[in-house]
Amino acid sequence: MDSAVVRKDVIAAAVLVAFGAAVVAVGLKIPLGVATDPLGPRTFPVALGAGIAICGVLLVAGMLLFRSAPAGPGLLGDMDPEDEAAAEAGPFSLTRLVGAVAITAGYLAAFEPVGYLLSTWGYVLALMMLHGGAPGRSLVSTPPLVTLVLYLTFKYGLRIPVPEGILAPLLSR
Amino acid sequence: MTAGVAWGIIGGAIPGISGAVAMALALPYTFSMDAATALIMLAGVWAGANYGGSIPAILMRMPGTPGSAAALLDGYELTRQGKAAKALGISLVCGTFGGLVSIIVLIALVVPLGNLVLAFGSPEIFALAFFGLTLIAGLSGKSMLKGLAAGAFGLLLTTVGLDTLTGSLRLTFGRRELLSGVDIISAMIGLFAVSEMFHQLAHPARRETPAVVDARTAFPTLAEFKEVWRATIVGTVVGLIVGVMPGAGATASSFVAYNEARRWSKRPELFGKGSMEGVAGPETANNAVQGGDLVPTLAIGIPGSNSAAIMLAALILHGIVPGPFLMSQHTELVFTLFAGLILVNLLMIPVGVVILRACLLALRLPPPSLVASILAIIFIGTFAADLFVLNPILALIFGVIGYGMRVTGFPPAATVLGLVLGFMVESELRRSLIISHGSWAVFVTHPISAVFLLATIGVLLYPVFLNYRRRRKTPVSPAAAPAGS
Repeated sequence: MDSAVVRKDVIAAAVLVAFGAAVVAVGLKIPLGVATDPLGPRTFPVALGAGIAICGVLLVAGMLLFRSAPAGPGLLGDMDPEDEAAAEAGPFSLTRLVGAVAITAGYLAAFEPVGYLLSTWGYVLALMMLHGGAPGRSLVSTPPLVTLVLYLTFKYGLRIPVPEGILAPLLSR
Repeated sequence: MTAGVAWGIIGGAIPGISGAVAMALALPYTFSMDAATALIMLAGVWAGANYGGSIPAILMRMPGTPGSAAALLDGYELTRQGKAAKALGISLVCGTFGGLVSIIVLIALVVPLGNLVLAFGSPEIFALAFFGLTLIAGLSGKSMLKGLAAGAFGLLLTTVGLDTLTGSLRLTFGRRELLSGVDIISAMIGLFAVSEMFHQLAHPARRETPAVVDARTAFPTLAEFKEVWRATIVGTVVGLIVGVMPGAGATASSFVAYNEARRWSKRPELFGKGSMEGVAGPETANNAVQGGDLVPTLAIGIPGSNSAAIMLAALILHGIVPGPFLMSQHTELVFTLFAGLILVNLLMIPVGVVILRACLLALRLPPPSLVASILAIIFIGTFAADLFVLNPILALIFGVIGYGMRVTGFPPAATVLGLVLGFMVESELRRSLIISHGSWAVFVTHPISAVFLLATIGVLLYPVFLNYRRRRKTPVSPAAAPAGS
């Protein structure tokens, strides 16, 4: 088995065990419920937490027991398009991934206080720059165009109020 | 309806936006609609995406959706021979035929099944929901354990918030925002759409923006119909059968249909070299899956695919509890949906012809613009649900979780199924035990429930058995053999 796959599975198994154990610990604090309800509100979350942790343990056990066996074919054998898609994907970039999550978190933090128009403009521009490879023309035209189309669609098309933030005095005129 | 079909075709044509992602993106825009209109629009997106995926597959050898991958084998060969317009026409007409027949079969099957489930009580409903859950876990990936863990995670998410039977607070961590539980739509959009966009950002595709072929649609002549009718029938039957099987989906059906169309063809030697039957078979199956997939979804409340799970989520969004009683309690809605599905499939041909140029334009969009625009659409869409920024935050969190699941091989579809079925599984299990005064025998003494539980055990053990048999047949490699042997 590929060592990268094994490493990923070990990390995934550790996360499952830790997460399942945490759910069980928190779940045990849920009240037992009433006598007429034999399971009560506690059993389901605790059982699921335990189940997730057991899946993690079994995943590691399976790797140790069957590590020399080749992976089985997918449902479509050697014609699986998901495998083709994976082959087409470029090399992984942690910077891009962390950057995308951080930019999105920042965008959502600014969504209401700064307002939709400015925050979305900056968000789309930041993501395009993070992705890389966008022609200069696109960097100038896409962010305002996307922002304006969405703003007008929601505010006037769907009549859904969009946060105006610091532009509120200007937009409410 | 027209907008749904048009968006589905454009979305399906853009690689990376599968039918389910296109539906997830459209979901927030259905908030202001009534349930029937919302469902018909989503069905339009679904049907449109099935055809849309074939456009880049045929023109550029680049499937827009996994389900259209089989059509490129011969579709692209036809394009190279200068017959792109004909290949698109066959894809559109045969796909529409498959879609229409599947809806008729859906109507014929759902009504009797809907009447049958009227005899269901809590134990039967629990056993049925449990069966559905294990089916998707078993079929959704190469590792059943990962499928089960992902499904359990989805089930766990449904326990967050106020317990409906006792009023106890569960897993809310003192947060008022979690009292009503995890928003299923935000979770679904995060798992499917946000994670896909993060994946495209973290792994920019090696492909360049494709050189777009200028194309039009040419409908097949009567003589060409005679050439492809056998493949069309084969595709319809395969699509229906595979569609009814939860977890198999459009991808499996189109490849199976391609192989079967070749097997039944009078000219199998043309397959792979530009056979029209090689386009008709998989394309018909790809579209026929929708009707087959909706049979378990509407009759018993078990979604067979990601797209069907989104249809069920749309029901929940509109305050309708999906499940075995959907047919009896919301007959009018279901029949309106049937009528809408027929219209949606009929609309495919005119919209498909008109929208082709827009698809080619969408395919020319640079990936950075596309990814950034889609993420902006996602977050304003999830915000619009209740004008609260918590929903986009949830979509972001589930996007990160979904990305992590993708790279480690955990199927997000199983989590979504857990989310959709979780409430039904827990509440019916507890109700059954309350009725039986705590006796678990209630699930065995009720024959229907016992059959479903046996089927569940069978489905769970079957891959284990197959794996065992495969390992016995695999010879031990010298590297794995003990030293000195």
